Amino acid sequence: MLPFLKSVAKNSANFKRKRIFDSIFKGEKPVKGPIELKHRRIFILPTKHGLSFMLLLVILLLIAFIYNNNLTYLLAFMLISVLVVTILSTFRSLAGLIIHAGQHKPVFAGDIAAISLLIENPGTIERFNLEFKIEQPVYYDAAAYSREPLTLYANTHQRGCFQIGTIKVTSRFPLGLFRAWSPIRFEQPILVYPKPSSTLLPFPETATQQALQGSVKKGGGDDFYGLQAYQAGDTIRHIHWKAFAKGQGLLTKHFSNENSATCWLDYAVTPGHNTEERLSQLCRWVLDAEATGLKYGFNLPGLSLPPAQGKTHQAQCLQALALF
Amino acid sequence: MPTHIQPTVLLLLLSSVALIGLPHAWTIAPSVFGFFYALLIWRVVGIWKKNWLPNKAILFLLTCAGIALLYQQHLGVFGRNAGTSIFITALGLKLLEIKTTRDVYFIVFLSFIVAATLFLYQQSMGMALYIIAVCVSLLATLVVINMRTSDAKKAIKTALIIILQALPLGITFFILFPRLEAPHWTFLQDKSQIKSGLSETLEPGAISDLALSDELVFRVKFDGAIPPQPQRYWRGPVFSLTDGKKWLPLLKRDTQRNQDTLSFSGSPYQYTLLLEPQDKNWVFALDMPDKLAPPLKINTYYQVTTDANPSIRAEYTLQSYSDYNTGNIGNSERQENLQLPPVISPEITALVSQLHGFDASPSRFIQEVMNHFRTQQFYYSLTPPLMEENPIDTFLFKTHTGFCSHYATAFVYLMRIAHIPARVVSGYQGGELNKQGNFLEIKQADAHAWTEVWLENKGWTRIDPTTAIAPERVEQGVNIDKQINSGSVNFDLGQRGSTAANIAKQFRQAWQNADYSWQRWVINYNNTNQAHFLSRFGLNNSQRMLTWLFAILSGLTLGLFWWLTRQPQKQQDHASRLYQQFTHKLAKLQLQKLPGETASAFAIRIIQQHPDLTLPINTITELYLKIRYNKDSDADDLKKLTQAIRALKINHLRRH
Repeated sequence: MLPFLKSVAKNSANFKRKRIFDSIFKGEKPVKGPIELKHRRIFILPTKHGLSFMLLLVILLLIAFIYNNNLTYLLAFMLISVLVVTILSTFRSLAGLIIHAGQHKPVFAGDIAAISLLIENPGTIERFNLEFKIEQPVYYDAAAYSREPLTLYANTHQRGCFQIGTIKVTSRFPLGLFRAWSPIRFEQPILVYPKPSSTLLPFPETATQQALQGSVKKGGGDDFYGLQAYQAGDTIRHIHWKAFAKGQGLLTKHFSNENSATCWLDYAVTPGHNTEERLSQLCRWVLDAEATGLKYGFNLPGLSLPPAQGKTHQAQCLQALALF
Repeated sequence: MPTHIQPTVLLLLLSSVALIGLPHAWTIAPSVFGFFYALLIWRVVGIWKKNWLPNKAILFLLTCAGIALLYQQHLGVFGRNAGTSIFITALGLKLLEIKTTRDVYFIVFLSFIVAATLFLYQQSMGMALYIIAVCVSLLATLVVINMRTSDAKKAIKTALIIILQALPLGITFFILFPRLEAPHWTFLQDKSQIKSGLSETLEPGAISDLALSDELVFRVKFDGAIPPQPQRYWRGPVFSLTDGKKWLPLLKRDTQRNQDTLSFSGSPYQYTLLLEPQDKNWVFALDMPDKLAPPLKINTYYQVTTDANPSIRAEYTLQSYSDYNTGNIGNSERQENLQLPPVISPEITALVSQLHGFDASPSRFIQEVMNHFRTQQFYYSLTPPLMEENPIDTFLFKTHTGFCSHYATAFVYLMRIAHIPARVVSGYQGGELNKQGNFLEIKQADAHAWTEVWLENKGWTRIDPTTAIAPERVEQGVNIDKQINSGSVNFDLGQRGSTAANIAKQFRQAWQNADYSWQRWVINYNNTNQAHFLSRFGLNNSQRMLTWLFAILSGLTLGLFWWLTRQPQKQQDHASRLYQQFTHKLAKLQLQKLPGETASAFAIRIIQQHPDLTLPINTITELYLKIRYNKDSDADDLKKLTQAIRALKINHLRRH
């Protein structure tokens, strides 16, 4: 449950009113599964153009009345009916649309998060110019019976479990006189890692690592040791692609220092003025260690990961940093 | 929303605007029309030559030029012509300043108003269809701006669908929206809007062009009693001279009548007559007027004229008697009203003789002629066939179909052959009583022609031959009359001639009939007609109308809503339902599909126990799986599955 909802739940007097308010502006409770846009979720109001169109109708009715002109009456009545039909059409361009939340890739704080959605149009009608918006609007035409991915972007600021806010799906089609919108929320948080520190510090010197410091400083990976069959967790960088291209299977290049070079990344010894700075520095080290092919152990208060290497290990470390 | 306006949008917008302005060629001053199209063409060129578009300073000068042009027309600000010119000039100037989508919306909305002003001049069916077509194009412009990829074809299709969906709602509104009594605000009338009414000459078939005009001619307010409908004859020009086709009034020898021979009896009607601007100085007094105050005058034919400027709305106080005797006439007047063309066809002479024109009293002969009209399949119609040559012969012996002017001229003709002085009188007959104001309103549609016959001891006596054929015309007034004589009788007339000509004639008559219905049911659907029409359905007040209006509108809207948002039934779901029917049937064989059991596993289990069912079970299972999990399945597979499951019941279960 989101923090703000928790606080709202306590204040039960305002709860119901708040919920209605929320359902209009923020959307209903976040859900995991696909969301079908139904009448309960769709709101519709005239746009500025819609209001001026109503003024036009009043003028036409006035002309018809003053001159007692039946065809002007007919024109005014036709345009009133067009307005009514437009309400329905605009509503219809959202109704029935199904939106699936895709898997989001973790990002570093300050980067732009890509939020992937899958838009399914189960009906026979083509839906034109749908606007999807978190921060910047993205426009999309959904063909009949289509099921296509759509990516939205949102800025991230803080590390942690980032709840993507309300996605507002809007349509003004066909005439732009009415705006139908549906605020939706998915329970599909994005993991935001700390922003990697920009200062380049050497890896921390720990007891186990000290003896081998020299070879690490050389940058490692120079002394070729041999080829081994690929194992899950091996870094992609070291895969012997030429051999793979020749059809010899996946082989990983191993270097002399790999077996021995190990460092410990420990929160306790990480420099920094505050927690965020330390986490940021740890993040930098994790990335660098992985890039250089160094084995690294990871120590956070309450969490200790033995030295290892590879994408999975890196992801584990970064996740721990994000959620610390 | 992109603020840049796509060329497709501009082209669609400008062509719609060009179309909406086109019919105004006949309504507004050529200079304003030319100015508008010059601006439009400038803007069209500007689509490709952006630099040629005017900057702010030039735009300001153009606006000044537009205002100067309007000022030069001396139209003022209010009124139909003035308003139309102002809207068109504004539309033209706005075209040169399209920057954002807001401007496009503004132009489209302004175009709708210009479309409405067109209807103030022309209300034909063709015009209505034309405007609807342009409305589709205007709406398509709005659709295009709301599309990502400007696809004009799709936009026009969308706009067309919107209009078609709006049509039933619009018609409901039109029928049920309560019409109010229209105000007569003089400041909104055009300054130079003089109505043309009755003509100075008369031909058979004349007046019918006025019969569908709803234009007000004059209003009459009575002090005291209002004459009954059959006595409401408003006297206009009198026609005595004829060449057998055209009828003219006599030359004005002595305009001021010597009234000594005229005598009245009974009590007079006192009334005030409010005459709308006219192009002639005729005042339509109730038959027969007495006591005139200047500037009114009466001529030898008892027609009242005015010396005042007829193009200004004027009020006159008059007095008339319905009982009168014009006394004797002199020899010259008698001769004038016996005048006939030199050649008279033997058929007419034979008819007059057959109707005892030569051997009975004038009143008997009048009766005979009236009976002849009544009994000999004569029809009253607004759209009689054209009669180019010898219209009276053609009317009397061939077509038998005519308007009041046909009956009046033919009647006078017959009288004169029988040596009875007679003449045609034109004017208005009837008038609608405005119950709120307690005054009569006489419209162009009330225009009428009747006759006067001079009888011994009675003087000039009014005879209306139209009463013989369409008494409702006189007794009940024009509205009912229009309804009864909807012109459909014209279809029965089998004319000799070539088939092509016949088809053309029928086509023309069908068109005239459609046009008549259009005029009757659409253009003249005013508060009186609406009340009359809707009272047939029990909707006799505006509150009920509104209730039903909202009820029907809600119904239609809900229906439309359901139709628009209905989801096409998924084939998969349908297949599941069919498969359920299948498992229900198998339950009779003590075979139950276990929860979690796949369709294929279930099939294998059935076949083990009932090997005789192998073929149908396999077919059904395969089809079911194909529809559910294979994208290539189509409606045909669904049909096959339905059949297979139905067949299973008949062929196998019974055997078991």
